[in-house]
Amino acid sequence: MKLSHGETASVMTDTPESSSDVRHERSVAPRVEPAVRGDGSRGMPAPATPRVALEGLSAYYGDHAAVKEVSLEFEPGCVTAIIGPSGCGKSTMVRCVNRMHEEIAGARSAGRVLLDGLDLHSREVDVVAVRRAVGMVFQKPNPFPTMSIFDNIASGLRFTGTSRDELTDRVHAALNSAGLWEEVKGRLSAPGMSLSGGQQQRLCIARALAVEPQVLLMDEPCSALDPVATLKIEELIGQLTDRVTIAIVTHNMQQAGRVADTTAFMLNGELVEVGPTEKMFTNPDDERTEQYVTGKFG
Amino acid sequence: MELETRHEYREELERLETRALEGLDLVVAALDRTTEAIQHQDIELAELVIADDDVIDGRYLEIHQSILTLLATQAPVATDLRLISALLHVMKNIERMGDQCVNVAKLIPIAGHEPPADERMTGNLVTMGGAIRAEIRQAKSAFADRDVELARDLVRQDDVVDNLNKECFQLAIEIGDDADRREWAMTMLLVARALERIGDNAVDVGEQVAFVVTGLFREFEDASHPGAPLARPQPAP
Repeated sequence: MKLSHGETASVMTDTPESSSDVRHERSVAPRVEPAVRGDGSRGMPAPATPRVALEGLSAYYGDHAAVKEVSLEFEPGCVTAIIGPSGCGKSTMVRCVNRMHEEIAGARSAGRVLLDGLDLHSREVDVVAVRRAVGMVFQKPNPFPTMSIFDNIASGLRFTGTSRDELTDRVHAALNSAGLWEEVKGRLSAPGMSLSGGQQQRLCIARALAVEPQVLLMDEPCSALDPVATLKIEELIGQLTDRVTIAIVTHNMQQAGRVADTTAFMLNGELVEVGPTEKMFTNPDDERTEQYVTGKFG
Repeated sequence: MELETRHEYREELERLETRALEGLDLVVAALDRTTEAIQHQDIELAELVIADDDVIDGRYLEIHQSILTLLATQAPVATDLRLISALLHVMKNIERMGDQCVNVAKLIPIAGHEPPADERMTGNLVTMGGAIRAEIRQAKSAFADRDVELARDLVRQDDVVDNLNKECFQLAIEIGDDADRREWAMTMLLVARALERIGDNAVDVGEQVAFVVTGLFREFEDASHPGAPLARPQPAP
């Protein structure tokens, strides 16, 4: 089952480790308070975006190693694309970053995932705080089916203890950040499911952004969308890099070329090559990368 | 992983390269006629060179259009993208070499049907034509085989052509005071210059071989700083 950020937070809030908000604040990197925008609306924060470093990360389903000792960095304020054929471990790898991998029965991981030096897999770190800091958007738009547009965004915020007065501003800001405000401002009480596929995905991005994550993981966020909706999401990705570090898993290599500063190629659970996107698509070092990007296998 | 994919695309790319490199054969044919026209100061043959340049221009347009289609429909990357970029350059060089043959062909009639030709000068020009022919064929082999060393060797060959060009200049100086002979010699200097440019274009094709193989473009010889170490490509700021 795929969980949105809000869902995950709600599930994990009941765990003993996450019972204290004070502990959340202590266990992840300090946050910058939301700034107030010139137009009077409460804007999204603009903290220095963090560096995510995977160090010797392995992930297993039972005895099967889906990710094998991957060391990779998501640079601050950059978009990192992860490409590779189906089953290469790229989705599993990003799901390790916000510790969703460990939710699967029989799954485990080894190695470290560092958020500005803080090991997110450490026992000392609260998993709910991790998922608040590391948001995720999935392949298929998954708005909460029974909730309105407004409540879809507000749901995650309510779990973070956002006051009722603040809620409206934060929902507005999140929709604005996701480029959806102008399209839905007159019908916030309409069901989230009444939106088009592309709008639903931007709603999910808004929901992820509402809790002000520092990192946004996107697992094939456009694979269910038409070209125009895809381009809107890509445009949005480009606009978000000043506030979140982004990693995007994609099967669409042109998309990686369009949105990513850095591209990583995975094969059979291993990181084959990582480098500037321009180089990866014009002159990769590894023959396997060359074969994959030119479509000689896949 | 070993499953081969994109058959039609690969075949189209191979066909495109074959058709583009055949353009070098067209240039060789045009150059052979041009050289023969120089040797015999043959105006009719020169006119044939001019007329047949449409074939080379047609090939240029054909490859150009095919490359645009391939870019638009197949989004080539990595080595494929470098190859396509190189083929665009090579086709432009082919088109330019064809034009230089036309330039030569247009110069031949200037001196009339029985020009006061100097055998040493025409001999030099014919030798140049032969050396350039070898360069073009070598450039084609280097490209087809992705042989960077063979491509680099074009610089050495082109030095021979450059020296022959300089010798033509010396011969023109020494040709004497007869006005008609001097005029003819001046015209043949322009011929030598056009031939010399064809050799440069062959070297340019060789540079594209190195680009396809290494991903780095650099001139084999920097004409603006002869003898100086070649600048490495700089990353974008």
